[in-house]
Amino acid sequence: MTGQTVDDLKEKVSLNVKNERVDHILQQLLGSRGYTFQFNDNVIIIRKKEPYSPIKKNATDSSINTTTISGKVTDAVGTPLIGATIMVKGTNDGTVTDNEGNFTLSNVKRNATVLIRSVGYETREMEVKGQRIMVQMNVVVSDLDETVVIAYGTTTKRYNTGNVSTIKAKDIEKQPVSNPLLALQGRMPGITIEQATGVPGAGVTVRIQGANSLRKNNDPLYVIDGVPYTSRTLYTLSQIQGGSGGNAQRNGNIPEGAGNPLSFINPADIESIDVLKDADATAIYGSRAANGAILITTKKGRTGKTRVDVNVQKGWGVVANKLKLLNTPQYLALRKEAYVNDGSPVPDASTIPDQSNADLAYYDQRRYTDWQKVLIGNTAKYTKVNTAVSGGTNNTQFLIGAGYQKETTVFPGDLSDKKGSLHFNIGHTSSNQRFNVTLSGNYMLDDNRLIGEDLTGIAMSLAPNAPELYNPDGTLNWALLPNGDASWLNPHALLKQKYRNKTSNLIINNTISYEVLPRLYVRNSFGYTSLSSDELLTKPLSMYVPQYRPFYQNESTLSTGAITTWIAEPQLSYRKVLGKSSRSTIDILIGGTFQQNTTRYMSVKGTGYSSELLLENINSATNRQVFNGSSVYKYNAFFGRVNYNLDSRYLFTISGRRDGSSRFGSENLFHNFGSIAGAWIFSEERVLKQQRVLSFGKLKASYGTTGNDGIGDYQFLSLYNAVSSVLPYQGVTGLKPVGLSNPYLQWEITRKLSVGLDLGLFKDRILLAANYYRNRSSNQLLSYGLPSVTGFNNIQRNLDAVIQNTGWEFNLNTENIKAVQFKWNSSFNLTIPRNKLISYPDLALSPDVYDYVVGQSTSLVRAYKFVGVDPEAGLYQIADKDGKIISGANLGSIEDRVMNIDLNPKYYGGLQNTIVYKTIELDVLFQFVKQMGAYNGRFGNHPGQFYGVNNSGNQPVEILDHRWQKLGDDASVQKVSSSWPTAILVPYSNAQRSNAFYSDASFIRLKNLSISWTLPDLWQQKVNIHGARIFLQAQNLLTITRYKGLDPETRSSNAVPPLRMITIGFRTSF
Amino acid sequence: MSLGYPYITYKSAIIIAVVILSAGCEKFIEVKSPVNNINADNVYTNDATAASVITGIYQNMSRQNSDEYRGTGLLANIHTGTGLSADELALFDVNNIELRQYYTNDLVSTSAPKYWNSIYSTIYIVNAVIEGVEESTVLTPTLKEQILGEAKFLRAFNYFYLVNLYGDVPLALSTDYTANLALPRTSADQVYNQIITDLEEARILLSDKYLQGNALNIYPAGMEERVRPTKWAAVALLSRIYLYKKDYVNAEMAATEVINNTSLYNLVTLDNVFLKNNREAIWQLQPVNNGINANTGEGKWFILTETGPGGVNPVYLREELINSFESGDLRRTHWIDRVIVGNAIYYYPYKYKIGSIAAESAEYSTILRLAELYLNRAEARAQQNNLGAAAEDLNVIRRRAGLPDIRPATQIALLNTIYHERRVEFFTEWGHRWLDLKRTGNIDAVLGTLKGASWQTTDQLYPIPQEEVLKSPNLHQNAGY
Repeated sequence: MTGQTVDDLKEKVSLNVKNERVDHILQQLLGSRGYTFQFNDNVIIIRKKEPYSPIKKNATDSSINTTTISGKVTDAVGTPLIGATIMVKGTNDGTVTDNEGNFTLSNVKRNATVLIRSVGYETREMEVKGQRIMVQMNVVVSDLDETVVIAYGTTTKRYNTGNVSTIKAKDIEKQPVSNPLLALQGRMPGITIEQATGVPGAGVTVRIQGANSLRKNNDPLYVIDGVPYTSRTLYTLSQIQGGSGGNAQRNGNIPEGAGNPLSFINPADIESIDVLKDADATAIYGSRAANGAILITTKKGRTGKTRVDVNVQKGWGVVANKLKLLNTPQYLALRKEAYVNDGSPVPDASTIPDQSNADLAYYDQRRYTDWQKVLIGNTAKYTKVNTAVSGGTNNTQFLIGAGYQKETTVFPGDLSDKKGSLHFNIGHTSSNQRFNVTLSGNYMLDDNRLIGEDLTGIAMSLAPNAPELYNPDGTLNWALLPNGDASWLNPHALLKQKYRNKTSNLIINNTISYEVLPRLYVRNSFGYTSLSSDELLTKPLSMYVPQYRPFYQNESTLSTGAITTWIAEPQLSYRKVLGKSSRSTIDILIGGTFQQNTTRYMSVKGTGYSSELLLENINSATNRQVFNGSSVYKYNAFFGRVNYNLDSRYLFTISGRRDGSSRFGSENLFHNFGSIAGAWIFSEERVLKQQRVLSFGKLKASYGTTGNDGIGDYQFLSLYNAVSSVLPYQGVTGLKPVGLSNPYLQWEITRKLSVGLDLGLFKDRILLAANYYRNRSSNQLLSYGLPSVTGFNNIQRNLDAVIQNTGWEFNLNTENIKAVQFKWNSSFNLTIPRNKLISYPDLALSPDVYDYVVGQSTSLVRAYKFVGVDPEAGLYQIADKDGKIISGANLGSIEDRVMNIDLNPKYYGGLQNTIVYKTIELDVLFQFVKQMGAYNGRFGNHPGQFYGVNNSGNQPVEILDHRWQKLGDDASVQKVSSSWPTAILVPYSNAQRSNAFYSDASFIRLKNLSISWTLPDLWQQKVNIHGARIFLQAQNLLTITRYKGLDPETRSSNAVPPLRMITIGFRTSF
Repeated sequence: MSLGYPYITYKSAIIIAVVILSAGCEKFIEVKSPVNNINADNVYTNDATAASVITGIYQNMSRQNSDEYRGTGLLANIHTGTGLSADELALFDVNNIELRQYYTNDLVSTSAPKYWNSIYSTIYIVNAVIEGVEESTVLTPTLKEQILGEAKFLRAFNYFYLVNLYGDVPLALSTDYTANLALPRTSADQVYNQIITDLEEARILLSDKYLQGNALNIYPAGMEERVRPTKWAAVALLSRIYLYKKDYVNAEMAATEVINNTSLYNLVTLDNVFLKNNREAIWQLQPVNNGINANTGEGKWFILTETGPGGVNPVYLREELINSFESGDLRRTHWIDRVIVGNAIYYYPYKYKIGSIAAESAEYSTILRLAELYLNRAEARAQQNNLGAAAEDLNVIRRRAGLPDIRPATQIALLNTIYHERRVEFFTEWGHRWLDLKRTGNIDAVLGTLKGASWQTTDQLYPIPQEEVLKSPNLHQNAGY
C-alpha cells in the first residue's frame, strides 16, 4: 500500500483496532469526515465526498442498465449508523453513510448485490430491487470479539486468559425478573443461582464453582461499575423474603437479613454481567474474590442522534404447582383412624370440642377449602416501565434512564413491591483523546409492603374442613369453642400484621483518566454506595388468637440502617506495541485500593400502644426498647498486573496483590495473593491457517491464590454487649460477653487452578469452550462448634482443613442456520462439579466428626439407613451402624448415621435456542439440575394429629396411600396417631433423619420463553419511531421433576416457590 | 480541552505512584472497636462496667423468668419442668409434646431441655468476671470484693442446680475453651466441695447490706431493693448445701446465722411473702419488663383465666398436692386458687397474685427466703436428734400457716413431717420439691406409686442435650437416655 498525502487531513485521531479489515478501518476513519475511498489494485484512492452525490467512477458509464440507489442504514432499534460502507459486490464501487445514516450510490447495475458493513455489526448483503433500500444492521454475534469486562479493564473472549462468562443486555431484557442475578440462571457454566422464595425481593443464593468455605462466607464479590457492592442485606425485621444462603458474615453485632441486595439494581440499566471464575480473573481482587466475582456494567450513552427508548411491560405471576393434600373425607377418615390406633374414643359431634379435636367434634364435616388456593393462590400482577434518553457527540456521551416497577404478591391482601429507579452515565473525552472523565450513578427507591410471615406453610397444613374465614357480618371468624376460646388461628388475622421495607440504594462511580505521557495513563476511580433501609413491622393484638391476647401487647418495631462503602482506586497503566508487525503488546497496570465499609443499624421496638391505629407512631408506645449496632471494615491493597501478548499467539498475564483487612488482629493484617496465566492461540500458527475448519483455537491455563476474610468485623476482639430488656436492673443496664474471641485469626486461602480449551469451527459458527477447574481452600475460617460447657456454641478460628472444588465446564454455541431471513442459534452449557473434603485434622476428635467425612462432599447430610415400617408394630425402623434394626421408642445414636447424602448438584446447565424468522424472534431457555433434596411430605406433619390453634393436620395424599393400618401391612408410612406419645414420636424423628427423607430433586425447567415481533418498517415510519417491537415473555413456565414437594429449586414447602410469570410488552425508540 | 505534556505531569505520575504504594499501610486499616461495644480489655478497668457484667446476669435471669416460654429449659423457669416431673403439676394440653415429656418422665436427649446450656453460659460469664476482676488493679477495693463475692455466689448457685439436675457434671472454673471443651464429668461430691468453697469465700467477700445497682453504695434506710445477693444470701444457700451434703452441724449453724439477723429478716404474713422487698426475702429478681410482663413469670404462667388451662397456661396443680394440705392450712387457701370450667375444677398456684395484666411491679420472683432457713434448721436439728428444737423451728412455719404446733415423737416421724412441710411450703418454687424428693431418697417410692410404669429410677436425672454430648469428647450421656 502506498501512501498519498491528503492535505485536508490534519486532524489527529487515535484508532484502536486489532485484526480488523482495512476497509472497515478506513470507513471508520474517513466516513464521518466526509471522504470516500476506493480500492484499485493495491492503491487506495481517497476522495473528498460531495454530500449525497454518487461517486463518479466513470462519467461515460451511464447506461440504461444502471441506476442510482439511495437508502438509510440503521441499527436494530433504528438508530442511524454513521460511516457504514456500502459496496457493490464484485466491484470497487462504494460509499459511506452520512450523519443521518443516509447514502446515495449511482451507476449501480440493476440486480446487483450490495454489501453493507459497519464496525461491530454483521455484514449484510442485499439485492438491489428498487431505488431506495432500508438496511437494519445486527450487532456482531461472533462471540469471540465481544467485550468481556475483567477486573480493572476489558478484553475480548479471543484474548482473555481467564475463565469469564458473560451475559449481555439483550438476554437480560428477555426475562421478566426484578433481580438481575436471576437472569443468569441456566445461562452460564460454573455458577449456581437459587431463589429462596417467590416473594418480591426474595433471597438469592449464588455460588461460583461451588462452596469453598466450610462454614463461612461463600458469596462472590459483586462489583458494579467498578464499585464493590454488598452481597447481603442488612438485618431485616421479617424473614419472609428468605435468605441468600447461610454462613454469611456478620457486621459487628448486626446479623444479616433476608432478601438479596441485587434486587435494588434495575436489570434494565445493565449492559452486561461478567462472571469471573478462575484465579487469573479474580486474583487481582485479592481477598475479596475467593468465591469468584460478578461484575455488573451499566448502560452508557453512544455517539449519535439523541434517542429515547421506551419499554412497557405488564404481566401475571402465579404459583405453578400445588401439593396434593387430603380432601375433607380423606382427612377425617385418617383422623378417626388415628384415634382408633391410639385406643381412644373417636370424637364426634357429641364430644365436648377442644383444641385437639375441633375438626371432628365441632367443624362442619362436609366443608372443604383448598387453602393453597385461598392463601397463596392469587395472581401477582407485574408492571414495568423503563425509559432511557441517550446520545452524544464524539466527545461527550450521556444516558439517563428511569424505571418503574410494581409487583404484587400471591397472598391475599393489598401487598405490593414498588420500585422507582434512576440511572445516568456521562462520559467526556477531550478532543485530543488524552483526558477522559465519566460519572455514573444508579439510584433506586423500593417500597416493599408484605406481611410478616409466609402463609405457604399454613396453607399446607390447615385442616381442609377448617371454618370460614369471615362471619356473615364481615368480621374474622374465630369459631369459638364452648369455653369461649377461639378454635383456630384464622390465617387472615395474620394479614393484620404489616411489614414494610423501604430501601434506597445509591451507587455512584467517577473515573478520571489522563494520558500523562504517550500510552502512560493515570487513572483514578472513586466509588460510593449506600444501601439504606427503613422498616416497619407491626404486630397488632388483633393478629393473635383472642384467648392469647392477654399475653401480648400491641407491638411495632421501626428500624433503620445503612451499609455505606467508599472506595478509591488510583491506578497507573502503560501500554506498548512491540515489534515491527505491531502484533505484540504489553500492558502494565499498578494500582491501590482504599476501601471502607460502614454499617449501622438501629431498631426501636415499641409496646403498649393504646390502639392499633397508633402502631406506626412510636411515640404512642408506652415502652420502647432500642437496639443499635455499628461496625467499620477497612480494607486496602496494592496491586499490579502485566499482560503480554506476543504476536497475537501467546498471551501471558501475571498479577499480584498485597491486601490488608481490618478483620484480623495486628499479627495477620496483611497477606499476598497472586496469579499467573498463559494462553496459546494455536489457530494463529501458520500450519493451521491453511485449513478452513478450525477458525479459532486457544489453550489456556491459570493458577493463583485468592483469600477470604468473610468472617465479619471485630471477631478478634472479645466484645461485651448490653443485655436487652425494657427496664434496667436496679437502674443499670447489664453487659454480657458476645462470644469467644480469637486474636490469632488469619486469612483463608483458596488456590485455583484452571485449564481451558476454546475452539471456533467453520468461521466461528461453532464455538466450544471447555474448562477444568480445581480450587482448593485451606486454613478454613469457621465457627468451630463447641460444647456449651465452654460458655458458647462456637468460636471463630482457622482450621487446617482443605476443601476441594473441581469441575468441568462446557459451553457450546452454534449458529445452526444463518440465512438472511432465518437464523437459528443454540447455546448449551453444562457443569459437572465435585466438592470434596480433602483433609480435616483430627476430625475424629472434633465436634464435626458426625457432620463431615474426608473424601466426601461438604454439603453432606449423614442420615440413618431407613428400614421401613415394622409390619407388626406399624412404626418406622432404622438400622444401626452394624445393620441391626432399631425399632420402637429407641432413638438412633449419631454413630448410626451411616448414609451419606450429598446435597450438591451432580450436574447442571442450560440450553438456549434463538430462532429469528424475518421480524419474529423466538428465544427458549431450558435450565436443568441433577440434585437431591429434602422432602418432609414423605413422612407428613405428625399424621393423625390435629393440634392447637394452628389447626395443622392436613397431610400430603401419599400418607393415605402408604400408611400402616393393620398387623402385617407392608407399609412405608407408619401408623397414624392422634396424640403422638413418645413411642410414636421417636420412630418418626428417627425416620426424619434417615435417608428416606431425601429424594431426587432434579428438574428441567423451561426457565424463559421470549417471543418478539418487530413492527413493519412502513408502520414505524408513519409514526416516526424505530425498533418498535411487541413481545411476550415467560419465566418458569414449565417444570419437569420427580420431586414431590412444592418446588425443586427452593426444596421447601414452607415458602412461596418462584412464580410462573407471563408478561406482554412493547418497546420502541424514537 | 487541550492538554500537553508539561513537566508537571511527571510529578503527578510520581505522586500517584506514591499514593498507590502507600496502600500497604497499616495505619489505614486500623479500626477502633465498635462504639456500642465494650471489650474485655476495658470492661474490668472501670467500676461501673465491671459491676454491669454481674448485673447483666440478674437482668437476663429476670428477663427469662417473665418473658420466655417456660418449657425451653431456662434456669429461671425451672418451676414448671421440675413441677411436672415431680408430683406438683398436671398438664392440661397433652399435645404439648415439650411439656409432656417432663410430665410423663419421658425426656428425649435429642429434644432435651436446655438447662445445661443456659447454666453453663452463665458460668462462663461468672468465670470471666472472676478472671477479669482478679487481674484488675484499678477497681475500688470494696467493689472488687463485692463483685468477686457475687460471682462466686452465682457460680455456686448455678452448679447447685446443675449437679442436682444432671448428677456428675464437668467443672469449668476458667474461660479457657480449649480446656473446658474436653472436660470429663467431675463427681457430684467434688462439685459440691467447689460450691462450698465458693460460698465460704462469698460470705466473706459479700456486703452484709443490700447494695445499689453500682454494687458499691448501700440504700438509704427503708429504700432497699433485695435484688442483689448479700452475705446473707451466701449463708442461706450454704445452709441448703450443707443440708444436701448431710453436714447437719454446718447446715444448722448457717441457718441460725441468717435467722438471728432479725434486723433484716423475719417471717411475714402469707399474702406478703412474694411482694417485692418484703422482710422475708433474702434474694429476689426485679422484673425488667413493663406492661403485661411487669411482674413475675410465676404469676403470668400459673394464674389461670376463667377459661381454664389452655395453650398459654397449660399446667395446673395436681390433685395429690391439693389433698396433701392439712385442713386449716392457710396456705391451701392463700397460695392456691381455682377456676371452674364446666364440670372441672382446676387449681393453680396463687403465691404470686399478679398475672398478665399491665400493672406496676409489685411482686418479685423470690429465690431465697427466710422460711427455708427455719425448715433447713429443723431438718438439721432433727437429724442430730435435737427433736425439741427441730419441732420448734417447724412450728414457726406451721404457726404462720394457721396450723397448731405439733411434736412428733420419733426422729423419723419428725423428719417426714418436715419433708411434708417443705412440700406444702415451697410447692412450685425453684424446683424444691423435685430436688427434695431426690435427696431424701423418696423419689422412687413417691413417683413410682403415682406414675406407675412410666417412672424409672434413671428419670431422676435429666438427659444432657444430645448435641452437647456429641461436641464434648469426654462427656457421656446419663443412664437411661
